[in-house]
Amino acid sequence: MNVPAAYVGPVVRGVRLNANRAVALASALAGMALVFAQDVYPTWAGFHTWQYTAALVLATIAVLGYALDARKGTDGEVGRRLAIASIGAVVVIVAGIASGLLGPDTETIARAPGTVAPLPDVGAAGFFPVADPATIARGDAHVQIRRRDGSSTDVGPNERRFFGTTALETTPQMAAYVEARDASGGRLTITQPTNAAFLSPVLLFPERVTIAGRSLPSDSFSTPAVRRTIKAFYFSKDEVAAAAHGMPGREAVLLVVDEDASGKLAPGGIGFVPSGSDATIGGVRFHVTVGTYPALVISAVPSPPALWFGGLLFLGGLAYAFGFPQDVKLWESSKKDAPARE
Amino acid sequence: MPRLSLGLIVALIAVVAIVFTVKPYFGASGPPASRMGGGGGPAMLAGAPAQSYTIKTLAGADDGLDRYRGSVVLVNLWASWCAPCRSETPALERLYRDDRGKGLVVLGIDQGESAAAASAFAKEMNLSYPILLDEDQQYGRAYAAIGLPTSLVVDRTGHIVRGIDGELSLAQMHDAVDPLLQAHE
Repeated sequence: MNVPAAYVGPVVRGVRLNANRAVALASALAGMALVFAQDVYPTWAGFHTWQYTAALVLATIAVLGYALDARKGTDGEVGRRLAIASIGAVVVIVAGIASGLLGPDTETIARAPGTVAPLPDVGAAGFFPVADPATIARGDAHVQIRRRDGSSTDVGPNERRFFGTTALETTPQMAAYVEARDASGGRLTITQPTNAAFLSPVLLFPERVTIAGRSLPSDSFSTPAVRRTIKAFYFSKDEVAAAAHGMPGREAVLLVVDEDASGKLAPGGIGFVPSGSDATIGGVRFHVTVGTYPALVISAVPSPPALWFGGLLFLGGLAYAFGFPQDVKLWESSKKDAPARE
Repeated sequence: MPRLSLGLIVALIAVVAIVFTVKPYFGASGPPASRMGGGGGPAMLAGAPAQSYTIKTLAGADDGLDRYRGSVVLVNLWASWCAPCRSETPALERLYRDDRGKGLVVLGIDQGESAAAASAFAKEMNLSYPILLDEDQQYGRAYAAIGLPTSLVVDRTGHIVRGIDGELSLAQMHDAVDPLLQAHE
């Protein structure tokens, strides 16, 4: 076998390995794996770090350097053919770099049921469905994505949808549906003056408050008909067991009811409401259903056409390099003087 | 004729592919916020399709906004405890009586209260326009209400023309609905 001078690698089982080729192929595979990982774990923040970009840039340099060299025939006919695969790998890796550098950081959008969130990166809007207590308890609400052309797609629990260079999935967030009644049993309007969704009876606990050493999710709402303002604190089953002996083993909400007129605690204005139960606190009868409601997680992913094109070019290049006899040429090189030997 | 080398063609294709790879990250734009609602109160809803939910009338029958398609609808979200709602209700009744013959419907949607509270209010105010009970406050959420009362003007095709936060005078109500009623005459 006539071995080109560039073959400087070790000999394994009688076959001379080209170190440059091995490094280039390893870099291509590693780089492409890192890029395809963005589609598998799109929410990982590491894809938007300089370390990730640096790793892909190094892989690009290794692959591109080999391809430019191999085109000149330094790695024989196989190397010249591998240049095609190298270009495919570079396309994939650049798609990953573009997504990591230029794509927006992963963002979680939490909205109240019945509201709409603009999704400019997708060219669409996310419709958060109106949820009744049963939906909150089951935690199976779907967020509907409506595009400008009128088409729509649902994103349900544990589902992921790809829209071009964006991946959308939902993550459950704790929620409680509150119903309130006055002393005569008449239903009361729930308002959330500090929330963008003023008329939502669903609490999403956006704040955290430390009480007795425990960091508790908290929210607030009002019942203006009876002039009450209520603070709500979420307690998990374990926290309920630790804080209130004799309570049923369920999640619960601690309600603190203030009188609007005095700003002070209403008589009998503090108490637990276990999920699915009624309790009268501060003169108001509350029914609370604790569960989850989806938040939308938006992540950048590499351009799908680039991944397909680059991936197929890479596989095609590999097949052409190693699957075809060296004397079979799909393309006649214009460089008549280039060495084609191995 | 000069021949192109394989490498040059592959490189050109790669450059084109890379340009298309990077392009989506520049100039991404979604629908205008005014057509999607959310985040800016009812005024942001102008131009959006009006969402409809089936809820109960005071008599217990099913009803919803979509049943009034073909009419100009002034949707009014209110509650009996809301002082400005109480204050504007006579003007709503007057508007309804003036313009219902021209194709106007005033649709009062009570937010979160029982039938007893809403009925008592309707009787006290001698209301003749339809009153619906939205115990789960679905309309209030969907129409981005940031307070009560909230009013929405919906055209005959079911699209929101205006979303208005706060109490309206009779003159302001006429200003909002008359152009739509006249356009049909």
